[in-house]
Amino acid sequence: MNAASPLTASPATPSTFGTPAALVSCVDVAHTYGSGVTAVIAVHGVTCRVLPTTRVAVTGPSGSGKSTLLHLMAGLETATAGTLSWPGLGGHPLARPGRVGVVFQGPSLLPALDVLENVSFPLLLAGHSDQDATRAARESLHRLDVADLADALPQELSGGQAQRVAIARVLAARPALILADEPTGQLDHHTAALVLDVLLQAADELGAAVVVSTHDPVIARRLPTQWTMRDGLLLTGTALGHTAVPATAVPDTAGSRS
Amino acid sequence: MITLWIRGLLRRRPGRLLSAAAGIAVAVALLASLGAFLAHSQATMTDRAVRGVGIDWQVQVQPGTDPSTVTRTVQVTAGVAGSATVSFGTSDGLTATTGGSTQTTGPAVVLGIPAEYPALFPTEIRTLAGTDTGVLLAQQTAANLHAAPGDTITITRAGLPPMTVTVAGIVDLPLADSLFQKVGAPAGAQRTAPPDNLLLLPTDQWQQIFDPLAAARPDLVSTQIHVRLDHQLPADPAAAYTSVTAAAHNFEAATTGGAVVGNNLGAALDAARADAAYAQVLFGFLGLPGAVLAALLTATIAASGATRRRSEQALLRARGASATQLIRLAGTEAAITGLIGVAIGLAGAALVGQLAFGTASFGTTPTAALIWSCGAAAVGLAIAAATILLPARRDLHSATVTSGRATVARPAYPAWARYGLDAVVLIIAGLVYAATSGTGYQLVLAPEGVPTIAVSYWALAGPAMLWIGAGLLTWRVTDLLLGRGRPLLNRALRPLTGTLAGPVAAGLSRQRRPLTRAIVLLALAIAFAASTATFNATYAQQAEADAQLTNGADVTVTQAPGTPAPADRAANIAAIPGVRAVEPVQHRFAYIGTDLQDLYGVRPASITQATALQDSYFTGGTAAGLMTTLATQPNSILVSAETVKDYQLQIGDPINLRLVDGRTNQLTTVGFRYVGVVSEFPTAPKDSFFVANAAYVAAQTGNEAPGAFLVDTGGQNTTGVAHRLETMLGTSATVTDITTTRQTVGSSLTAVDLTGLTRVELSFALILAAAAGGLVLGLGLAERRRTFAIATALGANRRQLRGMISSESVILAVLGLIAGAAAGAVLSIMLVKVLTGVFDPPPSVIAVPWGYLGIVTAATILGLAAVTVAAARTAGRPAIGVLREL
Repeated sequence: MNAASPLTASPATPSTFGTPAALVSCVDVAHTYGSGVTAVIAVHGVTCRVLPTTRVAVTGPSGSGKSTLLHLMAGLETATAGTLSWPGLGGHPLARPGRVGVVFQGPSLLPALDVLENVSFPLLLAGHSDQDATRAARESLHRLDVADLADALPQELSGGQAQRVAIARVLAARPALILADEPTGQLDHHTAALVLDVLLQAADELGAAVVVSTHDPVIARRLPTQWTMRDGLLLTGTALGHTAVPATAVPDTAGSRS
Repeated sequence: MITLWIRGLLRRRPGRLLSAAAGIAVAVALLASLGAFLAHSQATMTDRAVRGVGIDWQVQVQPGTDPSTVTRTVQVTAGVAGSATVSFGTSDGLTATTGGSTQTTGPAVVLGIPAEYPALFPTEIRTLAGTDTGVLLAQQTAANLHAAPGDTITITRAGLPPMTVTVAGIVDLPLADSLFQKVGAPAGAQRTAPPDNLLLLPTDQWQQIFDPLAAARPDLVSTQIHVRLDHQLPADPAAAYTSVTAAAHNFEAATTGGAVVGNNLGAALDAARADAAYAQVLFGFLGLPGAVLAALLTATIAASGATRRRSEQALLRARGASATQLIRLAGTEAAITGLIGVAIGLAGAALVGQLAFGTASFGTTPTAALIWSCGAAAVGLAIAAATILLPARRDLHSATVTSGRATVARPAYPAWARYGLDAVVLIIAGLVYAATSGTGYQLVLAPEGVPTIAVSYWALAGPAMLWIGAGLLTWRVTDLLLGRGRPLLNRALRPLTGTLAGPVAAGLSRQRRPLTRAIVLLALAIAFAASTATFNATYAQQAEADAQLTNGADVTVTQAPGTPAPADRAANIAAIPGVRAVEPVQHRFAYIGTDLQDLYGVRPASITQATALQDSYFTGGTAAGLMTTLATQPNSILVSAETVKDYQLQIGDPINLRLVDGRTNQLTTVGFRYVGVVSEFPTAPKDSFFVANAAYVAAQTGNEAPGAFLVDTGGQNTTGVAHRLETMLGTSATVTDITTTRQTVGSSLTAVDLTGLTRVELSFALILAAAAGGLVLGLGLAERRRTFAIATALGANRRQLRGMISSESVILAVLGLIAGAAAGAVLSIMLVKVLTGVFDPPPSVIAVPWGYLGIVTAATILGLAAVTVAAARTAGRPAIGVLREL
């Protein structure tokens, strides 16, 4: 849990009895890169929660803070203000690898490992045996329809193949929350649609929540909930079973990035 | 564009640039240091050769030529600093009556020397007893005649009545061999030893005795003019030799055949030429591998950034950069790296010179230092071009934009490995070794009197091939272990990496080439350090053995001629503080046929308590074995190889020697049995001598008086003990200590301050070993920061990251150290064997510097550990930040 400052805004919809615990909860969360005159506020005063099985598309222009918000949710960045917690996951995601899966924007496969090894790697990190990890990795590759690429090295894959393998790596660990940062940003429309199909279908099978950041409205419309970000602020958010609260309106004079 | 690129390089990739510059700096510093040291060494050799010569020229006045004419020519010859006319007369024999007995010698040489002679040639005559002017009797002649200062000597003259003189002093002529040379005679026609009987008279007295003989028998007298030159010579012994020889020829021409020059200075420089050539060879053997290693280190450092460079190059090409522009960028990077490396290297060399020798130029002339600095700088720039510019150029021509983006190349087996080049190279090394360890092989051949000198540089090929072969073999074995041996690697890494052993082994296996290069480099650096250190340690061991041989022991007490040692002398010496053991040694003169040789009577059971006997001193048995023979068969005797050859002796042959009987003072025949050959023995001369059982000699001659006492101090405070002994013994004995002897013995090669060279070389070897491990590993890990960042983003904890990183370090350390130790051991043996000519005496065992080797190992492991810890700490940074930066 991050508690950089006291809460100044209440969650729009407090948890009620019987409501499942949020996988990730952000209360007035901010993240600033650097300090002093060179400081860049990437995320500012964001309050939101992601409940199990949620499907959210985070949209907004480049530099609006989408990626930083996802990285904060994944525990890969630290909030410089506000409170960040993962009540539905039982603690920080990095403490027990596999509960949150991240699909990165750029190439994220380990270059020296082949596809099968890449996919089984998070499972091994989580302490699974070689056999279990390999079996799960093969199943995941099969689900993503890239089983025939098991022996290939990342440098031998096309962009779409690499992204499918990255998704397979996430799914192999059977996460409760999938955070996909512009997963289709480097793909053509057709491939992008296919990749998203696979991602959502697999998430359905696993019962995982999905948060996808994208600046592509077509992709965003594929998900039932859209959050919009601009200059580090989360402006809107409506969806069934989850809430996003527009942050306190603070003029952003220090710039923003994602 | 170039400025922009370089600015970016300096700001964003300073590590890559400075690491490559550091490799170049090591090569430049090593070459500049060793080169300046070599130049200084050669100057030292010339200086030492000059100082070792008593009389620079012995000008033999030819029969029928007026000596005064030649003297005048000498005086007007350029470069002559002083001269003295020395008269030689031959007597039929000398007689002395002392202690009631009369002793007569065989033919004797009587010298007439002017009063200024000792001042002009101070090393020629050393006074042992009495005064240093007047009638002086040589030590051995005094022993033969039982004469002492104050005794009367009768000089017999052919066809003339004898004359008598009164002895004023007993002297030793340390340089008698050259003094009594046959001037102008070829080496084979020289007398084998100086005359046994020798008397020195003031010129006036000599003229009174020998002028009448000169009139009657001019063949029995001669005149020499001894010349001292001003020694304004070139620093290089070879150039100095040529200069002095030319001057001597010029002088001979000026006398139009009236004189022949015995060019002692030329002969000394002649010998120093060989030593200078040895020094050059040493430079080649010990210095060049270090420079090559530094170049390889630079290449490896540059290669560790090759993936990134190819990727950058591909990006630039994709954005429209032309081939010429890319070459220019690489050229500028190479030039900047080279210049930084050269600047640091030359500054480092100056610092090393200052620390090791007290001067930045290693004591050599500014010109020589400048030449070597320029040479080293050129090599540094060449290394930069070869390791940075050439690979970039090659990539440009062979790689495509797509392949440039590849980060994991499928390792292809190189052609040399397919054709077994490593085996071929090792076989050649073996053949060269076999040839160089055969009998009759000489690394340096400097025929006496001939200006040319032959150095068998091809012998360098042996160790060089072994070094290369060891490197290639290490590559092959490592590649095999990391490639096909992946299952083994997987199992070996499990204790470090746990469940991640599989992917870690797979990653190491696929990216094994950089690791393999690092292992080869580390192995070569360790081998270089080990072989250099072993050679130097063995050299030091043999230099010490040489000093031991010359001095006999830590401290040696030699009885003055005619002064027998009292019976309790050994006990008195043993009572001196600091003395651990005392060993009396008899010194006699023994006739074998008509040849007079030194004979040493030793106590075989206890001699080694006070001095060291090496197996290499003997032929036909070990030192211990032959001492046991002397003890169990008291009449056995060890003989020099020359005597064995001259008298055609076979093991077991009886030998009858004539020694002075202590009871009658007459020669008596003593029977011995030849059991082995001795070539070196403590206190013994370089030429022929005998070693026998002291108790047997004493029993046969009725005289057990020792001639010397070998004193062991455990190597501690030898000068202090020597001083106490001098105080106790006064003029009855001469005391010498090994510390003083060390500074005066040996060839001009041993005079070279190898301690300084050793310090320089071993420091560089240590740096190279540590750098080969730590730097290369660190750069390799830095290039894979992205991998560690992704692993962190996927949930790898600190322990898992440490395991991934340390597995690489452990493999590098284990394989590098094992391969280095093996190659170093074999290389050391070969180096010592090939360079046997450098050692005096040749070593019977190789000295292994365990302490230094321990430091090298520790430095390597510490370097790797430090890099591992630093890399693990860096890898623990927030992954997203790292991924964003890369």
